Amino acid sequence: MAILRSIELSVVSSAVAAIVDIAMFTPLAYYLARSNDAILEALVDVPVGIPHPIIGVALLILDSPLTATGQFLLFLGVNFFNTILGLVVALVIMSAPIYVKSMQPYFESRDAGAEDFAMGMGASRLRALYAVVLPDSKRGVTSAALVAMSRALGEFGSISIIAFYVLQFPFYGVSPASVTIFQLFSGALPGGLNAAVTASAAMILVALPITLAGHIARRVER
Amino acid sequence: MIEAKLKAMVGSLRIDADIEASGVTCVAGRNGAGKSSLMKIIAGFIQPSAGFVRVGGVDVTRLPVEKRGVVLVTPNSAFLHLDVESHLAWGAKIRGRRPGAGEVSKVKSELGIDFGGNVRKLSLGMRERVALATALLAAPRAILVDEVFSSIYRREEFVTSYAQFANQLGIDVVFTSQEEGDGRLAGQLYIIDGGITARSPPK
Repeated sequence: MAILRSIELSVVSSAVAAIVDIAMFTPLAYYLARSNDAILEALVDVPVGIPHPIIGVALLILDSPLTATGQFLLFLGVNFFNTILGLVVALVIMSAPIYVKSMQPYFESRDAGAEDFAMGMGASRLRALYAVVLPDSKRGVTSAALVAMSRALGEFGSISIIAFYVLQFPFYGVSPASVTIFQLFSGALPGGLNAAVTASAAMILVALPITLAGHIARRVER
Repeated sequence: MIEAKLKAMVGSLRIDADIEASGVTCVAGRNGAGKSSLMKIIAGFIQPSAGFVRVGGVDVTRLPVEKRGVVLVTPNSAFLHLDVESHLAWGAKIRGRRPGAGEVSKVKSELGIDFGGNVRKLSLGMRERVALATALLAAPRAILVDEVFSSIYRREEFVTSYAQFANQLGIDVVFTSQEEGDGRLAGQLYIIDGGITARSPPK
């Protein structure tokens, strides 16, 4: 069953994207929560606001051997097109705004007393984040990451361009689930509409618990 | 010595402060009088629109919070994920200070910290004791205590011991209170009303 491998690829790449979201965008969400930076806040929304295929095309141009940036990336051995890296990068771009928009209100709802206390004793804002806020925010981070991951699982527009299928071990020749469902529906893969519906149902079975877990994690918190 | 001669707008409240605090100082006023805002300005979380804050003779008005050596203790200061011992050592560690075992145990016994374990499991009053002791062991230039003393059991004894430790370490303490009567626990009393401070009794 091609769809099972596709779901596997989607789950793995979306999970990796969510972990990258945590590592790279938690400080940004915290900064937005504790500052009044309207411009940066608007910038975070940009990937959500533009049609998703444009993100895929942009990554493709960035990475094309015909452009200077692409030649440089190639020189570094970085290739986005039909690679797991390209897939994950696209998923990070699409899911990071969701992660940030989920973490920011969480941080805003936290009393700043402990952070202020830490900073008064000489900790920088970043140190206060890592030493005081994050150890006490595990559920908030888990919840936001799960919501971001479910967003990544549903992504189609950008990844159908940058990673229609992956040409790398251990997913050689495997397409992300959303792309496979589209191929079944369009007749590019055999099985017709019935197969597309079955594949969609399988995907929902996988995605729904992740979304629900994200919301439950938030609810349970204090 | 903390000198704060400044003006600031905090929300719709206009703060107009003129304070010279050394040793232990009480700032008393009713809810909304501007006590907490004034503490936040002195600690560096809110910038004044005019005037200055000096700590130990050094102008810190433009310094970031973490470089002022001024610790703000509020009812929510405690780090809930730590245990009592590592909490007490936290500030000293950041400031590169190594309080001796004797000092730590003396602070603990004098401030009634005869409990241990996870800070999250402690009552509010116990958490406040831990936070106050942590600030003391960090030995900053000044400690601002916002609304914390008022909820502590046997307050007078506690504040007296606290003031003694602070004095030994050369730390100025400013604490806020709803009651002017708390001035007797301090060397000086300032009344704040509608954001304006006044020394009591007047000089």
